[in-house]
Amino acid sequence: MKHFTNLGKAVAAGALAVAMSTAAMAADGLNFPNLTYRTGPFAGTGTPIMNGQRDYMLMLNERDGGIGGVPIDYIECETGYNTNKGVECYEKTKGEALVTQPWSTGITLQVMPRTNVDRIPILAPGYGFSPMSDGDTFAWAFNPPVSYWDGAYMILDYIAGGDMSSLKGKKIVLLHLDHPFGKEPIPLLEKLAEMHDFKLVPIPVGLKEMQNQSAQWLQIRRERPDNVVMWGWGAMNAGAITEAVKTRYPMENFIGIWWSGSDADLQNVGAKAKGYKSVSFNAPGNFPVLEDIRKHVVSKGNSEIKSEADMDTIFYQRGIIISMILAEAAKTAQDNFGEKNINAEQLRWGLENLDITAARLEELGMKGMTPPLKMACDNHTGHSGAWMLEWNGEEFVQASDLLTPNRELIKPLELEKAADYAKNNAPWPGRGDLACN
Amino acid sequence: METLYNVLIDPFVQMYGMPDFFLQVLWEGLVSGVLYALIALGFVLIFKSSRIFNFAQGIMVVFAALSLVGLHTFLVPFVGNEFVAAAIAMPLTLGIMYALAMSVERVVLRPLVGQPDIILFMATIGITMFLIGFGEFVFGGENKVMITEALGIPTGAIEFEPFGGFLLLEEKDVFAVVMAIVLVISLLVFLNKSAMGRAIRALGDDHTAALSVGISLSTIWVLVWFIAGVIALATGVVWGARAGVSFALEVIAYKALPVLMLGGLESVSGAIIGGIAIGLLEKVFEIYWGQPLFGGNTETWFAFIFALIVLLFRPQGLFGEKIIERV
Repeated sequence: MKHFTNLGKAVAAGALAVAMSTAAMAADGLNFPNLTYRTGPFAGTGTPIMNGQRDYMLMLNERDGGIGGVPIDYIECETGYNTNKGVECYEKTKGEALVTQPWSTGITLQVMPRTNVDRIPILAPGYGFSPMSDGDTFAWAFNPPVSYWDGAYMILDYIAGGDMSSLKGKKIVLLHLDHPFGKEPIPLLEKLAEMHDFKLVPIPVGLKEMQNQSAQWLQIRRERPDNVVMWGWGAMNAGAITEAVKTRYPMENFIGIWWSGSDADLQNVGAKAKGYKSVSFNAPGNFPVLEDIRKHVVSKGNSEIKSEADMDTIFYQRGIIISMILAEAAKTAQDNFGEKNINAEQLRWGLENLDITAARLEELGMKGMTPPLKMACDNHTGHSGAWMLEWNGEEFVQASDLLTPNRELIKPLELEKAADYAKNNAPWPGRGDLACN
Repeated sequence: METLYNVLIDPFVQMYGMPDFFLQVLWEGLVSGVLYALIALGFVLIFKSSRIFNFAQGIMVVFAALSLVGLHTFLVPFVGNEFVAAAIAMPLTLGIMYALAMSVERVVLRPLVGQPDIILFMATIGITMFLIGFGEFVFGGENKVMITEALGIPTGAIEFEPFGGFLLLEEKDVFAVVMAIVLVISLLVFLNKSAMGRAIRALGDDHTAALSVGISLSTIWVLVWFIAGVIALATGVVWGARAGVSFALEVIAYKALPVLMLGGLESVSGAIIGGIAIGLLEKVFEIYWGQPLFGGNTETWFAFIFALIVLLFRPQGLFGEKIIERV
């Protein structure tokens, strides 16, 4: 019995030591969990982005000692893009978390109600639920710098050459993953189809059909659409581009959302995919920030990239942008509250009051890499715009000036759907006790 | 009335009105079917010899394709030639699949001899988990490009103009069909004409009787898992050539499940005929009924419903053996 008592004391002492060390770690670092998907069918999209995110955070730790001198505790929890695992990861990491990055529209929708209770901001850059932009309804959720509805509008605006009325009589296929992410642009596209009198043909791609889309592309051959817009993720992108080449669909009429523009997906078909386009909130290039990452992370062998050439890819550089947005929000909060060890609520304020100007982007070594971004209480997205990129057979190149969404058109739909969401999930707290300042 | 027209008349009007398109649908269905049959064969061989439903068949496809591409990438800087590197990488990959077969037999199957089937099935889930983790650890999770040209697989297209329209056959797909036919014929000859093949069939018919005449269970299991590995490699090469090599290839294995339900778990010819039937029927149904009536994506469920209907009338599948157990 005595042995058991001693054992109990030892366990208790150990637990106390672990708890104290965890608390000390929490007090000393900015805890930024990331619900990653480096494995499974979507890893092709996830891995380069996560590498970019991770390397930027490591670079800040190495170069600046973190943010405002406070080291960043960057934690990855692997979900495999699976919603159930994503929820588990959220629960597992939320203890000391200042933010959660769910990395899937499905996971975002699942954890959104919980974050109101746990008071942890969701950061879902370029994904999630488009009405999240309405900060008065979704006080804890942010999806900068552009939403899917922004993306859908910008793609159609590009197809129309800036004159939406020119879409009249056209047929546009939406080839989308049969998943919450893939269905996200449908409400806005249906509204635009009704307004501008074009025919929208949604064609879903099931998770098991991502690698073999011959049926979907046979339908496209039969429909003879003027344009194909793709909402693909992971292995679906390479599958679609391969089939498009095979069916000889004119690649210049084929445009993907930003998650359908990974270099790795296009390399599979190379020059045959020349002319394919993807809208993107980051432009490719050799930016000074890359040199800092090379010097402080990659050359020290601390990166997970396979070769330095990976740093030139669109998705790696997008990962950098995403981490930069989070780091700048933390800095904004530190500056405002005069505290280096901010809490989740203060970070939420930092995100809501984020203002990344062109001058600040230049200071960060990211001039021209992404558009300036400004958020507000009633604007949790920023809607800063994107560029059209084109595959030239070997790499993506910028093919347009900055495109911007039509906020007057999209905002009423966002407010309507946000109100519907709040009503369907009543009692929804909305902004609650959070002041807008 | 309109619904009846859409179900009973319109699809056939379309087939007649656009015969070139109908031929293209049939071709795409045939290619899919042949590839489903290949995957199903891997399941059947292992089940036939050991009564194990090998859940790991899908991940073996990924692992084989990743090994081939990974070895090729590793070898190119040393040998300086893509074709030579591919010529070396291919036998090395076969070696890896053989080593995997040996390891599975020694580490997983041998200690579980005599255990209930469900235990062995669970063990194959364990093998799946191990191969996912090990594969990601060694090769990473990113998409990779299959070494199609280095393997000498043609990448052009053959175009016909039947009925004034056009029919396009990708040379990669023609290669896949030819390779699958060669593989299946070789396998049938091996199973029917060689001593080892007869031993596999004997084990499938009656384990105890086969063991009593001196057939080595260990040798047969290694052989069968190796053949399943070769089939996995062939499947990985042809699917990888279509849409890249990634862990998404694993989900293709689930497409073989209705094929097995239809053809029977123990029948090689069932896997082949079932695979081709499901490939053709699901494509034709999707294009002429699924897309107009259900909004598309019927391929995710059509094959299962079709197989279930068949099972209502033939519970053992089209070619499965009727098991009578005396109690």
